[in-house]
Amino acid sequence: MELVIALGMNGIVWGLIIALIALGLSIIFGLLDIINIAHGDFFMVGTVLAWFVFDTTGNYWLAFAIVPILGFAIGAVIEYTVIQPIKNAAALSIVATFGLSIILQESVRATFGATPARLTAPIEETVPLFGLEYEVYRLFAALLSIAAIGCFFLFLHRTKLGTWMRAVRFDPETATAMGIPARRVYMVTFAIGFAMASLGGVVAGPITTVDFQAGVDILPFCFMAVIIGGLGNLEGTVAAAVMLAFFEGVMASFVDPTLARIGSLCLMSAVLLVRPHGIFSGSTR
Amino acid sequence: MTKDVKSKPAKAPRSGQTRRSFLQTALAGGAAATTAYFGITHNAFAKASGPIVIGHQCELTGGFSSWGYWHDKCAQAAVKVINEGGGIAGRKVELAVADTESNPAAGARKLRSLIQRQKASFVVGSVHSGIMLASIPIATELKTPYFSAGEATEATGSKGSRYSFRTGTDTYALAAAGVPWAMENLGKNWTMIFPDYAWGHSHHQEHRKLIEAAGGKVNDPIAVPLGTKDLVPYLARIPEETEVLFSVFFGALSVAFYTQSKSMRLDEKMKMYSVSGTIEAIDPRDINGATEGVYFLENFPRPLEFKNDEYHAKFIEMMGVDPVYAKDDKSGKVMAKSHAWQSYENFFALKAAIEASGWQSDKDTPGVIEALEGLKMENSLAHPQGTKILRAEDHSGMIDCYMSRVEDSKFVLKKHIPREDLMAKLPPRYDFRTHKL
Repeated sequence: MELVIALGMNGIVWGLIIALIALGLSIIFGLLDIINIAHGDFFMVGTVLAWFVFDTTGNYWLAFAIVPILGFAIGAVIEYTVIQPIKNAAALSIVATFGLSIILQESVRATFGATPARLTAPIEETVPLFGLEYEVYRLFAALLSIAAIGCFFLFLHRTKLGTWMRAVRFDPETATAMGIPARRVYMVTFAIGFAMASLGGVVAGPITTVDFQAGVDILPFCFMAVIIGGLGNLEGTVAAAVMLAFFEGVMASFVDPTLARIGSLCLMSAVLLVRPHGIFSGSTR
Repeated sequence: MTKDVKSKPAKAPRSGQTRRSFLQTALAGGAAATTAYFGITHNAFAKASGPIVIGHQCELTGGFSSWGYWHDKCAQAAVKVINEGGGIAGRKVELAVADTESNPAAGARKLRSLIQRQKASFVVGSVHSGIMLASIPIATELKTPYFSAGEATEATGSKGSRYSFRTGTDTYALAAAGVPWAMENLGKNWTMIFPDYAWGHSHHQEHRKLIEAAGGKVNDPIAVPLGTKDLVPYLARIPEETEVLFSVFFGALSVAFYTQSKSMRLDEKMKMYSVSGTIEAIDPRDINGATEGVYFLENFPRPLEFKNDEYHAKFIEMMGVDPVYAKDDKSGKVMAKSHAWQSYENFFALKAAIEASGWQSDKDTPGVIEALEGLKMENSLAHPQGTKILRAEDHSGMIDCYMSRVEDSKFVLKKHIPREDLMAKLPPRYDFRTHKL
């Protein structure tokens, strides 16, 4: 029973980190209709930037402040140069972001190198938790993810820019007619998506590793969360990421973790069959 | 030196055909055919007297590129040394490099290109087990000797051939070299955790046989899917009674394993043991103590002091790395030393076999294969890893191995395992000499 609780709790922790990253993917799809194959690489860039900040300054906490800002700036540049020219062409967006993914990976390989590195956790203590020596940093990372997700929703619902983002997402033509600078909103939205993925990289970096292909494996799980939560449904994405990871964690205490992953894929298939627009498709897009 | 090249995309065909365009096409075709004829005759002549083309199939990009960089550097260094010393049988060596992109499909395709387009007569092959196993049937079909550098035992086993050689170790040899010492010094209750693909399973099978034969207990294996980020669900399944945790991960998954197992304090409860492939091209200092106290079976000791001779010293000088961490301080790259030496030494093995057999052109290749079978290589600048033999039966290199432990982020030798000890525990399971050439 202890193992069930421990792995279920670990699933929630991991799910919250994934939710932070997947939320960026969902925002980009929801507003821009961009199927962003490079989103995992935005996460990877976040881990590499965090490593660089830590390596340069020796201060991990500084990475929390600097990396999302850098991510926002890079995201804005990418939106202007890559996304804007292919806007409203979903098929092209897949090809363009796939190319972007390769460019980001190879740029990092050429500069940072191909050898994986470790980002030391700022909190190295462990606590005995349901039979496991559990990293305190993981609990901190989960709290940080909750805070970041909460801040994002506050921004979305309590600020003028957030209202503009929702308005443009709901009806871009009317929003433009009302004087909302839709072009700028698109750029900010994409940049926020990048910033959230890179913040996810800072948070997850000490748990995973820093390497140029770190984003490749995180992307499928993010897509699963976005699909199960409902394409473009932000709250649904967060809930689905946590539920999926919790489900996998609990399953992993009974069966082989690989079977648990197969189980979550089966769950996703079942959701797609029964509710093709996701579990939370009743909510707004 | 030639590099693989991409041809220009062909223009879309035109629908109309005029007399002028027909004549232009016919003339161009005639010119091309004439050129090709002279090209063929020139090539046939070159084969017997010009440079000897040796292909190098390596991972310059993709997931294995941190290793591939060093394999390429080793190959370049070997060709330089050979050419400066007068070449092979008086003929210069021309190196043809193909980047596998760390991808078996691309690696196999480029091997064909190396042999058929770039006319490589011999190929020093990949360290990526998947690429190596995809390449051996092609090299065999094209009757071209191919040196593997990866560890999957099948390359010189069930999927090997008369054309496939390996001077380094495979999972069979690594198990035979490491298990006796580890059983005696680390413990008898083992749990193995490995990536869920051929390399990991091969290690598990080979180690399990030897551990159980020596009276040890092997707990249920834990196979981790590639690309896993959070290892806690897997690490939580390690039985409490485990004395030795044997892991065989690669690259990022390896760093994740050491980081997460350390943070769960598994290293305080059990001894951690692995093979050099899991720490290859990684400096323990760069992962902040995550591998501290871990035992590694190496093919070539990382610090100079544990095989301290002039050839080893000269080799690391050629590679531009320091004698303790095997790191190039300018680039920050750590040499993949336990494997990359094969991409250096294999050229010298070929040189010895070509000269011994009197090879002139590809029709003489069977003689080179016969010369390679049982070839003895002495510790020298050509073979800085040490004296070794390329066993005649299974084309496997019999080499010295080194059991080391990471202490204060340095590799410290605990046991030198001579090749004679290894050979005694490693009877050949295949005899490729029964295959027709």
